[in-house]
Amino acid sequence: MKAFHFIPDNCDLCRKCEEACVAVCGSSKKESGGYVPHIRVLQGPEGPFMRLCKHCEDSPCVDACIGESLQRGPDGLVIQDETRCIGCFMCNMVCPNGAIKTIMSLEKAFKCTLMCGEKQIPTCVASCDRGALVFDDLRAHNNSIRRKKIKEIPHK
Amino acid sequence: MKKTVRKSNIKKSGKQHVIVGNCIAAVSAAETLRQLNPNDNIVIIGDEAVPSYSRCLITYYLGNMITEDHLLSHTKKWYSEREIDLHLSTRAEGVDTKKRVVHAVTKGKKVNIPYDTLLVATGSSPIFLPSFPYDKDGIIGMRDYKDSCMLKGWAKKGKKAIIIGAGFVGLKSAYGLVKHGVKVKIVELLPTVLGRMTDLEASSRVRDRLCQNELIEIELKNSVVATRKHGDGYIATYQNGDEEYADFIVASVGVRANTDFLENTGVEIDRIVSVDDGQRTTVEDIYAAGDVCRSRHIVTGDWIYNAIWPVAAAQGRVAAANMSGQGRTYEGNIPMNSVDFYELWITAVGDVQLVGDDIEEVIFKSSSIYQNVKLRDGVPVSFMATGNVDGAGVIRAAIVSQTPWDEFVKKPYAQILPVANQSR
Repeated sequence: MKAFHFIPDNCDLCRKCEEACVAVCGSSKKESGGYVPHIRVLQGPEGPFMRLCKHCEDSPCVDACIGESLQRGPDGLVIQDETRCIGCFMCNMVCPNGAIKTIMSLEKAFKCTLMCGEKQIPTCVASCDRGALVFDDLRAHNNSIRRKKIKEIPHK
Repeated sequence: MKKTVRKSNIKKSGKQHVIVGNCIAAVSAAETLRQLNPNDNIVIIGDEAVPSYSRCLITYYLGNMITEDHLLSHTKKWYSEREIDLHLSTRAEGVDTKKRVVHAVTKGKKVNIPYDTLLVATGSSPIFLPSFPYDKDGIIGMRDYKDSCMLKGWAKKGKKAIIIGAGFVGLKSAYGLVKHGVKVKIVELLPTVLGRMTDLEASSRVRDRLCQNELIEIELKNSVVATRKHGDGYIATYQNGDEEYADFIVASVGVRANTDFLENTGVEIDRIVSVDDGQRTTVEDIYAAGDVCRSRHIVTGDWIYNAIWPVAAAQGRVAAANMSGQGRTYEGNIPMNSVDFYELWITAVGDVQLVGDDIEEVIFKSSSIYQNVKLRDGVPVSFMATGNVDGAGVIRAAIVSQTPWDEFVKKPYAQILPVANQSR
């Protein structure tokens, strides 16, 4: 299973990825006249960083979803039935990547469901000509780091 | 006549796993059991007439914010596809741990259901007190589909309701009832609404937002000390002696674990079922998951009662793995919840109620946003936000991993949170 990987050193915040996401994805929903892309690239204190669903294996958002809107789909993707979202934002409360878009005017949460792109390359990745976005089999790697972190927590 | 239901509709050669209860802990366990054991029998015993659904959604259903089809998400087909033998309208009354059978009653008939492994996922029920005893004609709790249907019916006839308790269920029930034009009075003993989730500031913001609807009245630091029948409705007496008429009353002062049928089984119960990290009870081959049992606080390691949906889902899966002989442990979670009323979001994570000399607070406050982080020894222990809850999970991850606050605020993701840009 492939996953997104962001290389901040290569990103110059041109935001082509955000534009590409909005251009193709119907669920980059309207908010007060504009669109909010699923992928968001922001300037942090130590350079750019990305907010995007990593489709992690343990997907805490799926467990937290009381409306059963977020589901584990085929190929380990975390997919969403937007009609079932009741806007409780429990998913936002558990997502360690800040990847859930909480759109208050619609009382719904949205996320990338990886439904775009040709030849299995997501549109945002295809649009990045700086080499800052990679879509590759890095999920296992990310999850092993997370699992290790959980184990390091001391118990009484 | 006693009837034995062994491999009734679905015949398999392996073990028989019996699950008592039919909500999220039960279905997540059943799904995992099926994945791990294609040749075993899986039996679910549920006391409701409908298949599994999300109990968290019943107040949304009450307020016509979702349809019945949305609420009743698991059809009978869901069970048959997974070859799960589903017994609806069946109430477990006892367990014979020697003969390994569950005694149950369905449509007035007694049935014995044998098990090799048993999962207790019976959840919890609303608490009633002598001052407001359960009355099927007008004093109920809000816990299942039946309750929400009942309230929907009453809301069509009645004009006035009293809700006892301004917790999660109380406020969400009020939110649903006012959509029918019912006038709702909420009475709460504590000085805050959503007691476990808020401080005075957050509470007053939530209260103000709810009371923008003229149909909602919230009275804090008061309680109902007596109720009596009056005409078609009830008269409630408050602590200060005042009396008020209501067409019906909703009790939401808390829940208790449904453990009655485990009496005399040897399963250790201290109000809730004691389990270990693998969801095993003190009796061999009996497991428990969900609101009926305890869970770990993932940071402190203490056993707590954390009756929330994500914990139940995870516990169900861990129990199922252990029932299948695969050693798995559940590391626990922290208390947390999230809800919205009229576009005001409230999210609370961790030990929001902590006070003391060793607790430091970092606060961000504006007219529309309130965020509060509590630190102990410089490490975040709780996060509470109203108005802007974006990125709450990022801070939750810092609480769970015990990342020092000074270190956390330098991380990229922390930039999402207004409170992370506040000086200590």
